[in-house]
Amino acid sequence: MGSYVRTRALTSSSEPLDHDEELRTSICCLCNGGCGIKISLDQEGKIKAVFGDPENPYNKGKICSKPMEIAQTLYGPYRVRYPMKKVNGTFERISWDEALDLIAQKYNQYIKENGTGSIVGITSKIGGSYSKLAHGIFSELTGLVNYGTGPICTDSEANVRKKLFGDGSGTSPLSDVVNSKILLIVGNNTAQTKAGQFHWITEAKRRGTRVVVIDTRFTETAQAADLFIQIRPGTDAALGMALLNYVIKNGLYDPTFVSKHTNGFEKLVQDVSTFTTKRAEEITGVPQNVIEKLAQDLATLKPGMLFEGRGIVCVNNAGASLWAFEGLMAILGNIGKPGSGIISHINNTGGISNLIQPNDVMKPDRKRSSSALYKDMEEGDVKMVLISGNPCATWPDSARMSKAIEGLDFVVSHTLVMDDSAVLADIVLPATHWLEEAGAQPSVHRVLQWKNKTVEIRGEEKSGGDFYRLLAERMGLNSSYFPDSSESAWELERKHNKNVTGISRERMLATPGGVHFPCSEIGKENVRLFANGVFKTSSGKVELTGVSDAPLDYVDTFDAPGNNGLSREEFPYLFSTNKVASHYHTECQYSDWANEMEQPYVEMHPLTALEIGVKEGDKVRVETVAGSIVLAAKITQSVPRGFLSTQPYFGLQSPYRQAPANTLFPVATDPVGGNLISKNIMCNAKAEGGQGS
Amino acid sequence: MSQHAMLVDESRCIGCKSCTVACKQENGLQTGDWWLRVWRREQLKDHLVRYYNTQSCRHCADPVCQAVCPVGAIQRGEDGLVIQDDAKCLGCHVCVTSCPHNAMRIMTNGKVGKCTLCSHRLARGKEPACVSVCPVNSRVYGEREELLLEANKRLSELRTKGLRVHLEGTEKEQTAVMYLLVT
Ligand code: SF4
Ligand code: SF4
Ligand code: SF4
Repeated sequence: MGSYVRTRALTSSSEPLDHDEELRTSICCLCNGGCGIKISLDQEGKIKAVFGDPENPYNKGKICSKPMEIAQTLYGPYRVRYPMKKVNGTFERISWDEALDLIAQKYNQYIKENGTGSIVGITSKIGGSYSKLAHGIFSELTGLVNYGTGPICTDSEANVRKKLFGDGSGTSPLSDVVNSKILLIVGNNTAQTKAGQFHWITEAKRRGTRVVVIDTRFTETAQAADLFIQIRPGTDAALGMALLNYVIKNGLYDPTFVSKHTNGFEKLVQDVSTFTTKRAEEITGVPQNVIEKLAQDLATLKPGMLFEGRGIVCVNNAGASLWAFEGLMAILGNIGKPGSGIISHINNTGGISNLIQPNDVMKPDRKRSSSALYKDMEEGDVKMVLISGNPCATWPDSARMSKAIEGLDFVVSHTLVMDDSAVLADIVLPATHWLEEAGAQPSVHRVLQWKNKTVEIRGEEKSGGDFYRLLAERMGLNSSYFPDSSESAWELERKHNKNVTGISRERMLATPGGVHFPCSEIGKENVRLFANGVFKTSSGKVELTGVSDAPLDYVDTFDAPGNNGLSREEFPYLFSTNKVASHYHTECQYSDWANEMEQPYVEMHPLTALEIGVKEGDKVRVETVAGSIVLAAKITQSVPRGFLSTQPYFGLQSPYRQAPANTLFPVATDPVGGNLISKNIMCNAKAEGGQGS
Repeated sequence: MSQHAMLVDESRCIGCKSCTVACKQENGLQTGDWWLRVWRREQLKDHLVRYYNTQSCRHCADPVCQAVCPVGAIQRGEDGLVIQDDAKCLGCHVCVTSCPHNAMRIMTNGKVGKCTLCSHRLARGKEPACVSVCPVNSRVYGEREELLLEANKRLSELRTKGLRVHLEGTEKEQTAVMYLLVT
């Protein structure tokens, strides 16, 4: 420590913030928690500090660390500020005009020579409501097929729910938990992933809601619950089916709801009839009496709610688990009433209709599943891709994805930062950040909140809204369909989407916390879906067995896609991913504070560490059928023996220089729901570089 | 004069580190410097227990750091806040070794630093930055008497649930920052 001793330091170690009376109000657009935030700007108009907005009823001034980290992403060295073109392997600055001309010319050429299907969009980070609308219009005019967040995050959940209830969105706002008697949280670490909104759950618990967490890891959410049920990875469907069976056999369901509002009950009874709690115990490791007690609690504590997370959605047998748990909520009659229903961060406001004249619509000449996309890129059927997002880190088999993208004829990345995907592009375009774009933001409370633009851009950044309009113009498309600002986009959206017709900007701004949707006109807000008992399926009822033609069935994760056929000797462990509070996707990695809060590591049980021969912090090589990466060991009892988990979002181009965890997942799909898998893959783990035994 | 204080409730903390980042933002700390940290504490009893423990200056009623500082750079004020003065600090680090709570830290500029309880915010009638963001009210600020009532309410609620909890900072070794801890 001697070298630190300096009797006269040149600078002070701290510099407290000055008082700022002119804070700007915005809505955090990171995790869909929808926390209200207040922004303090410096004299140059740059963000100095981010606070929680005490006036926002949903977060009451509380926030997680992520929005505070954002300023460092915005002004950091990785931010893309102007369009660039790759010339002989290095990027050169070009003008927007030049970039747009080039993209338009290529685009039209590929449509002509190779068909509309030769161009795809990988667009998980398209931007706010303005950009989403413009991108939607552009896609209709060009036949562009897009892969958004769905394949890597929400597809299984949205598809299963859509088939059951006719709508993929969560049915109830998170804030409804304070009205519920029991909350079932499955594979969801809300305490870390939506920390700013977690107080709804702790508050509900204090008011008497029984909070039950089912997870493989002992999460922070589990720590705060009344009951934590630790389950073997990938066995949730077995638990869900046993709960269904027990509830049915013991007459604990809601017979009126079942007869009036559901179809397929008899078939469901059949599907789960062999799933005794005894059998579930053998599969899940959850004692029979715990399962039975949970079933009884669910039957007596009404109304009840369900909150599922990526832990059961991004797995290779997701469809059956989601089907079982959501079907369970339905037969218990836990839908549509206050304090009941399904909470989800999927909160679609619905699409627009009747905007584009039929003769202007271009249909894609071919479509492919998200898993077939890899092959079609590799084999040259896809020529060009428009990226907004970071598929080279967020899609499975990231190394394969990178190689496939690199091999394409023409790649455009519209991006915030120079990430793992942008470096492979031919054209890189600077995108605005959500604080640099106005728009309507939906949240987990099923509300829409309007945020004004908070900060000015400092380079040549453009929103997706502007980019797609300008590109359409250059391509000679009918660009009169496009709005030219966030405000006019919202007016257009209200005209063509009856779910939001009653929600004006003025109303959102004047209503603390925003306005519930769907809302076709003032006075017709819907706090929760299906309050009238009419579902959006064609029959108007819950289709209990409508998820698939095949019966609801449990498939072991080891026999499901990705793991099926692999040797347990060669790959003795399971590898998974989980998020932490101070990080969110690609964007938060570019902050110094995020870096100080959390470094990449792989969690493992002490006995697993002993088997591998590593100590805390030692390097571990994790290998799967798809690839291998090296991570530092973090030894913790919060994961079961033989189960490894890491954070999913790091990238080689980020300040962490960490190969993405998704490198380890082969391209495999949940057969029932359709999600690409990014959890529970069989793996091996070894001490790296001569350590260990 | 009514005394103000802060309560840190370990039983509620979810380890989100929002407080740490808010502290760095509010006080303009350099990369690598901390006044407030969050630690994970894991213990295997008949089942696994884990808590997150935050660490920062407790603003002792009788601060050792003040007693050992050779140049009087650390002073406890009337308001109960223990403030370290960067201009006077020699960078000798004796306070760092003497602090029983590991709260006085060596900063990257070679001097020392610690939590001021956001005295600049308190002067404006606001609560400390960490308190303002903490999503689960694990950190609360207010009048000492009221906080003690709140703490006792929380203690008895937790005890009815079978948890072994106690309050630190109220008795002999009084501090302005009180800790509700789980054993
Ligand atoms: S909880 Fe979500 S919405 Fe709230 S501040 Fe954190 S990232 Fe933003
Ligand atoms: S906690 Fe440590 S640094 Fe803070 S007043 Fe007490 S002795 Fe000083
Ligand atoms: S903000 Fe609150 S919950 Fe989060 S780490 Fe700090 S004390 Fe714990």
